[in-house]
Amino acid sequence: MNLDYPLAHLMGGVILLCAFSMLSQRRLAAMITLYQVQALTLSAAAFWQGFAQGAGDLYLTGLITLVIKGILLPMGMRQIVQRFNMVRAVETTMPVGFSMILGVGLIGIAVLVVLPTTVSAVSLTREDLAISLSVVLLGLLVMTLRRNAIAQVIGFLSTENGLVLAATGMPGMPFVAELSVALLVLLAFLVIGVFLFRIREHFDTLDLVGIEEIERRGR
Amino acid sequence: MRLPARRLVCYGLGVGNSFALMFGLPGQGMHLRLDALSVLFLCILVPQIVASALAERRGSIAFWVFAGAMVLTLLAGDAFTLIFGFELMSAASWLLVLRGDARPATLYAGMAMFSAACLIPAVFLPAGSLAFMLVLLGAGAKAGLAPLHSWLPRAHPAPPAGVSALMSGGMVKVSLYILIRYAFIEFGAAAQPWWGSVLIAAGAASVLIGALRAMLEVELKTMLACSTVEHAGLIAVGLGIALRAKAMGNLDLASLALQGALLCAVAHGLFKPMLFLGAGAVKKATGTTSLDWLGGLMRGMPRLGMLMLAGAAGMAALPLGPGFAPEFLLLHAVIKAAATGGILARIGFTALLAGLGLSAALALGAVVRLIGIGFLGRPRSLHAAAAGDANRATLAGMGLLAALCVPVALLPGVVLGMMEPVIQLLAPNSAPAPLSYAPLSLFLLLAAAAAAAFFGLRRFAVRGTREVPAWTCGFGSPPAWLPFGDPLTQPSATGFAEPVRRAIARGVLAPQGVDPAEAYLLFPLSQVSLRLTRVAEYIRRSTMRQRLAFVFAALVMFLLALGLSEGG
Repeated sequence: MNLDYPLAHLMGGVILLCAFSMLSQRRLAAMITLYQVQALTLSAAAFWQGFAQGAGDLYLTGLITLVIKGILLPMGMRQIVQRFNMVRAVETTMPVGFSMILGVGLIGIAVLVVLPTTVSAVSLTREDLAISLSVVLLGLLVMTLRRNAIAQVIGFLSTENGLVLAATGMPGMPFVAELSVALLVLLAFLVIGVFLFRIREHFDTLDLVGIEEIERRGR
Repeated sequence: MRLPARRLVCYGLGVGNSFALMFGLPGQGMHLRLDALSVLFLCILVPQIVASALAERRGSIAFWVFAGAMVLTLLAGDAFTLIFGFELMSAASWLLVLRGDARPATLYAGMAMFSAACLIPAVFLPAGSLAFMLVLLGAGAKAGLAPLHSWLPRAHPAPPAGVSALMSGGMVKVSLYILIRYAFIEFGAAAQPWWGSVLIAAGAASVLIGALRAMLEVELKTMLACSTVEHAGLIAVGLGIALRAKAMGNLDLASLALQGALLCAVAHGLFKPMLFLGAGAVKKATGTTSLDWLGGLMRGMPRLGMLMLAGAAGMAALPLGPGFAPEFLLLHAVIKAAATGGILARIGFTALLAGLGLSAALALGAVVRLIGIGFLGRPRSLHAAAAGDANRATLAGMGLLAALCVPVALLPGVVLGMMEPVIQLLAPNSAPAPLSYAPLSLFLLLAAAAAAAFFGLRRFAVRGTREVPAWTCGFGSPPAWLPFGDPLTQPSATGFAEPVRRAIARGVLAPQGVDPAEAYLLFPLSQVSLRLTRVAEYIRRSTMRQRLAFVFAALVMFLLALGLSEGG
């Protein structure tokens, strides 16, 4: 029995599940853990695709994902949470149920868009594409709904995971693109980390309400 | 895009090829060309320009640009030149309106942009219903056809009188010229009967609302502008009947209606600038144009008063005046049209006939009010009492137009004969019935009768004198403390119009006597614009997360549209 497709779908499903559960998590620690699980699954998916397609590049992708997103970034974020004393911080922007309904709608849209537009493509890529588009949209939704800056960063990173998932499922994607995306994410994380410290220094909070207040007063 | 080859017409000035200018669009240039239609409208336009320049505005650059742009529009031989002249005309007239008053200038600029936005795509579209509707919207808005007329009674009175005269008499005609050229010549092959019906409906609405508002307005120049709306409507009714009849193959009716419409354009182009120039002279002499503060001007300004009376006779379409023959022809055309077509068309044309009759009566009332309140009776203010006659230049300008009114009034048959090439150009192979109205012989008969009565009275009347109290213009004898009578006890312009306001205006106008186009079209539009501004302001002031949400929502909408269109 050929395990290529079932395993790839399984891992894609786990990644989507992680992205979806991020919507329901109000605490930062849980979101970081979910992100870590998502990144680890992604690296496993990359390894598996590398094995299945016989492409050496994908092993490297998986390794980078594992090191940067699976280990370094969650560690950094946990440190930030510790240092800012936000272990018990709770989001209060939008009811969880409502945001999950929105998430289900987005997944529906992703399926609706991808499946008919790619009728001519191979079945593996089609469903993988639908899953990764859903992950991208869910990450964007997290960025939109959350008020806490770190939660927004996690949403951004999750969006990026969706992109990498699409890239790994697609045979023939050049390795340079994935490498540059990974480096970009690392840099973005560093910049955002510095930025967060500055925000914290000025406003004593990572809640964007503070910035919005300043913005409003400036007008 | 060149206009198609000009038809051969045996009209002295109309012969000649198109004349290419050395500038214009690269590779295409600009072309000037003269055909019978342009010649007719030039003949309408030139006396007004001369009269306005004679009366005032000789040194204004904007005025000459305005006049030149109108001439350029009429002479245009290709679509680009036409649009160029038309927009130059709009811009120059906007400057002139702005010099008078800023608020109507803004409204005017908005309307000019709207008409440009309709006309520019229309002239480059293939002939068809969409192109015709765009031309109708663009040129009709500029000509003051309902429901896009409400800017006209605001913008036309704002600039000085010479410009008002040219705007009312000339600019409206230039817009109608574009309408005629496109409806009858450019899109002539694709014409459909319902185009004419739309034009008739717009024209009938303008006629009614224009005549009604002319009866109610107190400001002299605003009243004249409302009457312009009415006359533009009359011309549009004639053109609509002609367009409909031509599309249905009834060429004789088409030529009859065209005769009425074009003669109406000629007559209106003569008496309306004259009245506007007169209103300007009244304003110069008394400092106001509000009829409620005038009165008795006939004594202070007798020559101006007589000229105004002549123009007013035209405006009211009195027999033996210049305005009668066109209305006579138009009513004939409507009656003829009512005898053709289906039951709905018959009912519609009969109703149109009633509407035209009503508005003719209203126009007569407006003129009686203009002369009776403004020029007869006693002065209602010191300024009106002290008014001296207009200066010679104004009188000369008005006199020129009045002199040109005489052949139109007394020899309409000859004028129609000169128009024959235009009719043949617009409705080929038609044979219009000769005009069954001979004002010259009527005039001679009336003059003979009057002379006979005069001499009879001289010969047979009782000689001798008799002392009677002086006629006090219908007043009671003045009380002792007011030896000259209280002028304010005369009926005012507002009071004179009150019966009409109660009987008709309540049903037609919006509450508080506002123009329905203003209340139901302009006001909601301004509300929508206000609301859109608020939305834009809200988006501009949104927070970071809201902006993210906007972008995200746009993305989701796009995906949804993509998915639905692909999936469906």
